[in-house]
Amino acid sequence: MDSVKTALVIGGGLAGLEAAIKIGQAGHKTILVEKEAALGGNVAKLFSSFPRWENPVDLLEYKINKLKECSLISVMTGTTVKFAQKRDKSYSVELLSTTGTKNKIEVDAVVIATGFELFDASVYGEYGYGSFDNVMDSLQFEAKLKEWSENKENISPPKSVAFFKCVGSRDRSKGFPYCSKVCCMYTAKQAGLVKDLFPDTRCFVFYMDYRAAGKEYEEFTRSVIEQKHVRYVRGRPSKVLPEDGRLLIRAEDTLMGVPIEITADMIVLASAVVPSHGTKEMSKLFNAKIDQYGFIDHEDFNPVKTGDRVFYAGACGFAVENLGAMHQGAAAAAEVISLFNQVD
Amino acid sequence: MSNLHITTPQERIISAAQRIGEVPEKLFLFRSCTGSMEYPGTENSIKEVLKILEVEVVMDSDQTCCSGYILTCSGYPPEPSLAITARNLALVEQRYGLDTYMFCNGCFGYNTELSHILNHYPKYKEMANNIIAQYGYNYQGKTRIRHVQELYYLLIDKIREKVVRPLNGLRVGVHYGCHYLAQQYGILDEGDLPTFHEEIIEALGGTPVFYKERRMCCGYAVGRGFTHKESVVEPHLAKKFDSAKEEGVELITTCCPGCNVALDREQPALAKRGFGPYDIPVIDIAQLIGLALGVPIWKLGFNANTTPLDRVLNKLGLEKGE
Amino acid sequence: MPREREKDWDENLYKKIDRYDLVQNLEQCLQCGKCTGNCPVAAITPSYNPRAIINDILSGDITRLLDSEEIWRCFWCANCYRVCPVDIHYPLLMMQLRYAALEEGYGLKYVQPINKYAFRAMEKGLTFVPGQKGIEKIMKLRSQLQATSWPEVSEQAIKEFCEIFEQTGAKAWMENLENMPEKPLRLSFLEGRITDE
Repeated sequence: MDSVKTALVIGGGLAGLEAAIKIGQAGHKTILVEKEAALGGNVAKLFSSFPRWENPVDLLEYKINKLKECSLISVMTGTTVKFAQKRDKSYSVELLSTTGTKNKIEVDAVVIATGFELFDASVYGEYGYGSFDNVMDSLQFEAKLKEWSENKENISPPKSVAFFKCVGSRDRSKGFPYCSKVCCMYTAKQAGLVKDLFPDTRCFVFYMDYRAAGKEYEEFTRSVIEQKHVRYVRGRPSKVLPEDGRLLIRAEDTLMGVPIEITADMIVLASAVVPSHGTKEMSKLFNAKIDQYGFIDHEDFNPVKTGDRVFYAGACGFAVENLGAMHQGAAAAAEVISLFNQVD
Repeated sequence: MSNLHITTPQERIISAAQRIGEVPEKLFLFRSCTGSMEYPGTENSIKEVLKILEVEVVMDSDQTCCSGYILTCSGYPPEPSLAITARNLALVEQRYGLDTYMFCNGCFGYNTELSHILNHYPKYKEMANNIIAQYGYNYQGKTRIRHVQELYYLLIDKIREKVVRPLNGLRVGVHYGCHYLAQQYGILDEGDLPTFHEEIIEALGGTPVFYKERRMCCGYAVGRGFTHKESVVEPHLAKKFDSAKEEGVELITTCCPGCNVALDREQPALAKRGFGPYDIPVIDIAQLIGLALGVPIWKLGFNANTTPLDRVLNKLGLEKGE
Repeated sequence: MPREREKDWDENLYKKIDRYDLVQNLEQCLQCGKCTGNCPVAAITPSYNPRAIINDILSGDITRLLDSEEIWRCFWCANCYRVCPVDIHYPLLMMQLRYAALEEGYGLKYVQPINKYAFRAMEKGLTFVPGQKGIEKIMKLRSQLQATSWPEVSEQAIKEFCEIFEQTGAKAWMENLENMPEKPLRLSFLEGRITDE
């Protein structure tokens, strides 16, 4: 029984874009829904990417053009999924746009690609996030990097910037026991970018480990340490105290076994990657499998399948870098296409 | 896997209303050794303040020292302290059915930790109850252990209304101490950036000062004031006082008689060694609340203080004998 | 000090130290150093390092823990416990480590002067009762407040307090400590860094 099948992709970030493009290019009707006014998700907020220092704007432009070239894909920005009802071989879904328009659609497969957020680090009173000036998380710092690069001549550079890794990750006490996977790499990237902009600014990265398990990742991290001269100190910081308009950091240099005090002008927290609010809502609406942290989980033997006719891709499943988000988007698309090609 | 229940941040930082619930009409006040001997004015002030706040206080001469301090010095193994904690808390449960309020961070910390161990390790609860059974006690884990500083915060609006001697912007540095904010089973505020005492100071009309080392320990637990006074505790305290002096702190408040002994009585020794001089008086926050709420000064017991209160009292236009 | 070898590591040391099962999650330690970074003692004495002590306990290092000066410096501020990402109760661990040291005769000088007050507590039901002059001062202060001249602790309560110490064997343990020969301590962790091999 051949009928026109429609796929719904929820989330217009990198994984969602990839999934929508591949499903559309395979000849199936695709609806891409994105809650913000613009596409691109968290990648649109980035100033650079690892491991090749590429501009994410180029990547997103390329993907969005591919999206527009395909007439079978309709894009609805400023729109969220409000309600979903499972039918025998489809979902009846209600959409709501920011203009107040409601829309009811019938879809034959769903790809959840609702991405991640950063953990709110204000539970760490010892770091003063939300209380002290100039303590920010990595996405906020990425915006700062953009601001600095656009206005370099008029900025008096900070004397030193400190990066704290594992804030909320690898923490069974106030955060989450898991490792957020991408922070070691993006911290190296951010520290390296500061040195590119302001070579005289001292950069310290406070770490427990540095994890560079990927293609070109180790070389990337070593280049930041060896060629851009970022100083890595092994020790998770214990306390931050404001002092004379700057920030005093107390930690231990565990490789030397001595307590240290370093003053910085700015502190960047690599806060844990947590499931976004959208991920939590969609997983409920579509009855997706989730793990104890709220990330979407997969069925046995099927890494992108989370329910009957429901698939997922990208950071809504767990922290993942750009390349991985695209891989997963394509894999979810393959599942949808394969499902649609099956003889009923 | 650990027997001890590891708490989440949501369980740890809870509001005063959640910690205590309804304002108690009556509470059991746990006698503190240092509080009743070194600073009897502290115990007195607490009773006066709670009287003004319309909370009835009950004490019992059958309650003994918690024995926790010397336990932490490794002075004896934990078995007697577990049994004594069970005995004291069972006394409150069986005779009064009230919540147990401590006014010393030490008593609070030791009783909280020991009762937590009693309630999570059946073997220790059994051992303790077997011993105290001979005196007619049986510890069930019913009485809740709280600290009076939590009650002051719950009643902060009432305190504010009843201020008759506002502090006129007096620069007060708070010393929270360690054993209340370090515990993991439900506290009012975040352990590194607490503000609830500062809010009380503001309610009294004072100026809270966020001096850099306000969260630093007093150094007197585990007997270190005896065993490592010159080598560790004095240089450590000098850092704390330097930071307070730099910010122009005129008075330091505590919520632990142990901390009070350290901060108040060490100042002459520090001066002799060339640190400071500081001359910053140190009193319990209950004494400050009592002062602001109009309790006669002589009842607050400032004669027990080594570092005199004269300058502060003069600034507020008060006489010691009032 | 020569290189450490397998014979210097006793894999049962952790259990021997945590004899009351109070710190069951020590192996969760990530060696992150948040404890030492926040430790007020480490800020003053460089050889006292909580993270390093945990590392030694887990390895089972028997060359330097028990006879070290350093373990007597912790003053239970619990900054470490408060910031530890895996909630290791380090102060409870140190308390038990000190028991192990005392039983070998190390550190008696840091406990005996305090235990004098523990024996007095068994007579008065209060800890840190001072000498006669101190008692008189306290009585004067209390009478100025129109309170009872001495904190009221009943005779029955003191009797029960004392009996509990006897029945749990703690009094005997303390008396044993009074008679033990003292062994010398050393700054083990500092010495350990100076190698001559």
